[in-house]
Amino acid sequence: MHTRGLPLKKLGLVIGDWRDLERLFKYLKDSGYRIIGPKVDGNVIKLKELKSLREFPKQISDHQAPGYYRLEEGDFFRNGDDSPKKYLFPPKMEIFKVNRDLSISFREIEKVKIAFFGIKSCDTASITIMDKVLGERGDSFYKHFRKELFIVTENCIKPGENCFCSSMGTGPRVQSGFDISFTRIDGKILFEAGSERGVKILEKLKLPHANAKLKKKFIEVLEKAAEKAKANFEKRFLAEKLELAIESPIWKELAEKCLGCGNCTMVCPTCFCFDIYDEVFLDEYSKRVRYWDSCFTYKHAEVAGGHFRPELWARYRQWLLHKFSYWKRQFDMLGCVGCGRCITWCPVGIDIRKAVEKVLKWVDENVR
Amino acid sequence: MLGKEYEFKIGIIKKIREETYNVSTFHIEVEGLNGEVKPGQFNILYLFGGGEVPISISEIGRRRLAHTVRFTGTITNMFRELTVNDKIGVRGPYGNHWPIEEHQNEDILIIGGGIGIAPLKPIIQYVKEKRSKYGKLIILYGARTPKDLIFKSEFEEFRKIRDSELHLTVDRGDEKWKGNIGVVTTLIPPLKLNIENTVAFVCGPEIMMYYTVKDLVKKGIPETKIYISLERRMRCGIGLCGHCQIGPYFVCKDGPVFPYWKIKEYFGVKWI
Repeated sequence: MHTRGLPLKKLGLVIGDWRDLERLFKYLKDSGYRIIGPKVDGNVIKLKELKSLREFPKQISDHQAPGYYRLEEGDFFRNGDDSPKKYLFPPKMEIFKVNRDLSISFREIEKVKIAFFGIKSCDTASITIMDKVLGERGDSFYKHFRKELFIVTENCIKPGENCFCSSMGTGPRVQSGFDISFTRIDGKILFEAGSERGVKILEKLKLPHANAKLKKKFIEVLEKAAEKAKANFEKRFLAEKLELAIESPIWKELAEKCLGCGNCTMVCPTCFCFDIYDEVFLDEYSKRVRYWDSCFTYKHAEVAGGHFRPELWARYRQWLLHKFSYWKRQFDMLGCVGCGRCITWCPVGIDIRKAVEKVLKWVDENVR
Repeated sequence: MLGKEYEFKIGIIKKIREETYNVSTFHIEVEGLNGEVKPGQFNILYLFGGGEVPISISEIGRRRLAHTVRFTGTITNMFRELTVNDKIGVRGPYGNHWPIEEHQNEDILIIGGGIGIAPLKPIIQYVKEKRSKYGKLIILYGARTPKDLIFKSEFEEFRKIRDSELHLTVDRGDEKWKGNIGVVTTLIPPLKLNIENTVAFVCGPEIMMYYTVKDLVKKGIPETKIYISLERRMRCGIGLCGHCQIGPYFVCKDGPVFPYWKIKEYFGVKWI
C-alpha cells in the first residue's frame, strides 16, 4: 500500500546506473548548484557540500539503535544527526545589526542555490513540513534559503532499526516534495521525476524506461522496506487519541529517564523553536542573533513572573504532544516524519515509538 | 528584505509615570507600526544591547502609546534606567484584541489582577469615548497590597465615567487601607449583574483567572461571554518561535485574548 501512486508520474521509472547518477550530479553542479549530500565526517554521516559523487558513502552502512550509532562497511545508509533544516534554518545566525542610534543594518545574503543530493524520503517530507511551519508563515530567511532549492531524494530500500517512516506516511518511497528520486535496485539506478524541473533534467539524460520486471522488483523492494519501517501504531486518529492522555500521570513515568538535554529537538528535522538574543560589540553595535531553542530547556516556558512548565515531565509532554497532536491542529499535518533520529541520539535511548505506544495503552485502559 | 519581520520602529519616551515602587508607565511616541492598535494587543519593546520584551499596551493615543512595565526580569529591569527622550525599539502591534466592538449595548465587566489591569485599561478608555454605545461599566481590580495598586491617579476618572463602578481589593491591607481585603474573586458574589447582557474581560495571574472564571460561571455568565488574556513567553510575536504555545495555540498570534470556551480544554491543565 505504501507504493501507491503507481503508475508513475509523467515520465515513469527510467533506468540507468551509477554513471548516470554521476551525470545527474555533474549536471546540477554545472548548473550552479551547491550540492549538499551525505558524507562521512569522523564517525558520523553528515550533510555536507559534495564536490564529487565519489564522496557519497556508497559502501557504508549506519548501524542505529536507541542511543546508538556506528558506521560500518555495508551497502546502504540512512541518516546522521543533522538534517536539511541545518541549511534552511541555520542553528545560529545573525538577523541584523542594531546601531547605537537604533538604526538597523539589514543583511544582504547572496542568492543561495542548494541541491540536496541523496537525502531520504523522511527528510524530504521534513522540508514540506518546514515549508508550512516557517515558509508560509513568513520567515524571510527560510524563504531565502529555500527559494532555489533542488531536491534529489534517494528512496530508502533498507530502513534502519529506528526508522518508522511508513507509520508516519512519509516513506520509504518519496511521494511528493522532490524533483528527482533515485533507487538502488540490483546494481542499477531507477530514476523518477517529482516535478517539472525534474522531468526536464531526466529527459536530458535520455535514459530508457524500466521494463515490467524491474518495475515489479522496485515495488517489491519498497514494499519490503515499508514493512520494516513500521511502528506499532497507526497514524489514523493518533493525534486525537494521544491528547486524551493530556492529564495522565504517565508523563512522569515516561520522562523518568529523560535528562532534558534537548538532543532530540536538535536532531529533529522539524523542531523549529528558536530564540533571539543580543550579542553586543564594543564598537557600538549589537547583533540580533537567532539560535535553535529547545522546549526541554528550563527557560523555554519561563517568564519573569513564573514558570509554565517547571518540571521536566511537563516539558516532555509538550514535546511529544506537540509533534503528534497539537501540530495537527496547527498545521493540518503531524510534526514527526519517523526518521528515528531522536531515538538514536538520545543519550539514554528513550524510544519515541515506545513512548507513543505506552500513552496509547494508557488511553485504552483508562479512558472510558 | 531579510529580517524585515523583526524590524522595529524607533519610539521616543515622552513621559514616565511612576505607578508603584516597581511599576512605571512609559508614554511612547512612535510612528509607522503595523496597523491600528486595538485594546488588548501588545508590542515588543527593544532596549539596545539588552533584548526584547513583550509588553501590553495600556493606553492608546493617536501617535502615542503607553506601556506599563513591572521591573521583574532582565530586560524590564533595564527600563528603570530610562528617562524622557530616550529611544527604544517598538514593533507591533501583535496579537488579537478584546472583542469590544462585538459587544455593543452590553454591560462591560472588567476584572484585573495585579499588573493584569494594564491590558484592560484601553477598554475603559474605549467605553468612555463611546459611552452611549455600552451599558454599565464595572471594574474589579485587586492587588497584593495598597502599595501595589497601579493607575491610582486615574481611579477618580474611572469613577466619574457615567454609570460606572470601580471596586478595589487588596490581599493584605495596611493601616491606611479602608477598602475590601481579599482576593479579587471576593468582589464577585456581591455584584448586581444583568446576567443576560454582561460580557466579562479578565486578565491577571493564571490562578486568579482560573477562579475568577469559575465564580463568573457560578454567577450565571456563559463561558462564551468570558474573555481571558494569557501570558506566555513570547519571543517573536509572530507565531514562529514556538515559545508561547498552549496546546495547539500560539498565544502571540491566536491570542493573547481567548474566549473562555475556546481555551478551556487546555487552560487549567497542570503545566501545559
